[in-house]
Amino acid sequence: MQVALKIWRYDSSTGERALREYELDAPEEATLLDCLDIVKDRHDGTLAYRKSCRMMICGSCGMRMDGAAVLACKTRMYEIAQAGHVPVISAMGNLPIVKDLVVDMDPFWEKFKAMKPYLQPGYEEPPEGREHLISQERMNHIHKEALCINCGCCVSECNAMESDPAFRGPQALAKGFRFVGDPRDGATVERLEDYSDQHGIWECTRCYFCNERCPKGVDPRDAIAKLGAEAMARGIDRDMGAKHARWFVRSAETTGWLRETELVPKTQGVVSSITQMKFAMGLAVKGKVPPPFPPHVADRVDEARALHKVVREQGRQGAVGIVQGERALARLEHEVAGEPEGAHGGQGSRDQADVTPGETPTRGKSD
Amino acid sequence: MPKQLAYYKGCLASLSAKELDTSTQALAPKLDLELIDLESVTCCGAGDIHEAEPDYYLHLNARILAYAEATGSDTLMTICNVCTLNLRQADFMLKGEDALRERVNANLAAVGVPRYTGGVEVKHFLWLVAEGEGYERLRQVAHRGLKGLRIAPFYGCQILRPSKLLGFEDPDRPWSLEAIIEACGGEVVDYPAKVKCCGFPIIQAREETALGELIQPVQQAIDGGADAIVTPCPLCHLSLDAWQSKLNAARKKEGVEPLAPMPIFHLAQLIGVAAGLEEDELKFRRHVVSMKPVLEKIEV
Repeated sequence: MQVALKIWRYDSSTGERALREYELDAPEEATLLDCLDIVKDRHDGTLAYRKSCRMMICGSCGMRMDGAAVLACKTRMYEIAQAGHVPVISAMGNLPIVKDLVVDMDPFWEKFKAMKPYLQPGYEEPPEGREHLISQERMNHIHKEALCINCGCCVSECNAMESDPAFRGPQALAKGFRFVGDPRDGATVERLEDYSDQHGIWECTRCYFCNERCPKGVDPRDAIAKLGAEAMARGIDRDMGAKHARWFVRSAETTGWLRETELVPKTQGVVSSITQMKFAMGLAVKGKVPPPFPPHVADRVDEARALHKVVREQGRQGAVGIVQGERALARLEHEVAGEPEGAHGGQGSRDQADVTPGETPTRGKSD
Repeated sequence: MPKQLAYYKGCLASLSAKELDTSTQALAPKLDLELIDLESVTCCGAGDIHEAEPDYYLHLNARILAYAEATGSDTLMTICNVCTLNLRQADFMLKGEDALRERVNANLAAVGVPRYTGGVEVKHFLWLVAEGEGYERLRQVAHRGLKGLRIAPFYGCQILRPSKLLGFEDPDRPWSLEAIIEACGGEVVDYPAKVKCCGFPIIQAREETALGELIQPVQQAIDGGADAIVTPCPLCHLSLDAWQSKLNAARKKEGVEPLAPMPIFHLAQLIGVAAGLEEDELKFRRHVVSMKPVLEKIEV
């Protein structure tokens, strides 16, 4: 089959960049990685990209196709070529580019290492001649997180990291849960304290790009929610994000609806929220600060309160509340339906790598 | 015969974004939708209870689904991205795992709530008007039109991703808002950040990070020559409308020119204007960024 690709070429030593188009002949079963190999072998030996296993296990070939992070070895080209589409291939986002499609993974590995991604045994040694056995059910808690191959596709698309490059990010935090959720690990509390820092659990903006892009089904956002749930279950809730979450629970069981006006002082503390007074007054004149009294109370809110009591008595606080639904959600598969006739979706993030090579993250960007 | 829908308005449309509720209620009969109010339901937890106490999150959402099912309608209509994801996620968990549904139902019964048997599907208002009968009705009622207006669609996150839970359209190349803008006679402004995050979930706990996200759609809509942005989510609306001033406060500190004000429509308001609804129903006076310039620009 004939395949056409546009590839963002970039040289970090000179800052030169260019979008080059390549046309090649490839077998019908070819993946994007196979096509890049053909480009390099037969068309342009200077093209730089990473690869190793070619079978979705080493995590080397993460890159963007039409602005979306993919594993090149997992992406079949047949349908794209048949549709006559010429995809734009670029390096992953949120990491500095070394050359063409190769990014510098050092910042990624630094964040990974900072999670202490190794078991810190805390269990007692079993008696002589016995094994330390853990049930499959218990290990299922970290089944998804253990699938991570460190490819960086989630990090590439993380909206919070784009704004704050210091955010630990979806890969590191998912790895963190892989150890927090491991019953053999003895450092759970220390880990949760550590991961609850300024750039940890509570800086996730819940954009769900990580779940969407992960080629292995890790669902990093869900792993971050599990970390939050484990931290809260242990009373590790000093962070404003944790207090924010706590207030939703309190609201649900007292009035049923969010007690919106009290959310700011409950999250930020009274002193800090006073500095927000001028901003709040601007919203108040537009009716955006509903008076807390009389509260907006749901009918039969006593049911919501009683439900909370029942649920807490059953002791399923923490990550298990998410884990219990994972099997059901894993069965869902979304097939993207075609657009209805006449509709057009425009570029979205598809037709354009919206962070083109060499562009810096957005924080403080003011031009 | 109007289509009967259980209507879940969520927290914001009951409180700081009342204009979204009044616009939706006023618009529904024109679109042949009969909304059945759910009075005894609570907050869906907004992702926060899902993170703080996920088992309680599941039960609160099961309770909402149970009361929706009790209305006899097969559809629970939402008007907020976050409610949509929370309810759909809980719904799929309950439908896909019999033992879990049994335990949750036993707990619901213990506090006097009806059982949930899996009889409703959660759908956002956007999906109901972007295709099928809803879309045909929309084309008929949008007679006043939005001629002369350039509108930038902003989807936000939790109506697109994770796509296996939302599933209405391609999360990277959505088309529904564009179809509605065009049916209303407006011109679509396309820009990459329309599918990205507005920063709202962390706007209180990590304001600086959130503003670094919020600037993208606002700046790109301005650069694209948009007269206004439209969003299907009241949280995105609050972020885009109310926190816009903070973007400028940050720019002032850096000595950079302020951004031109960008008016923000709720989806129901945008259609409402095209359908000829009045200010009493649309309540544009409740917006922080004035809607006046954009409303005055419509060519009659």
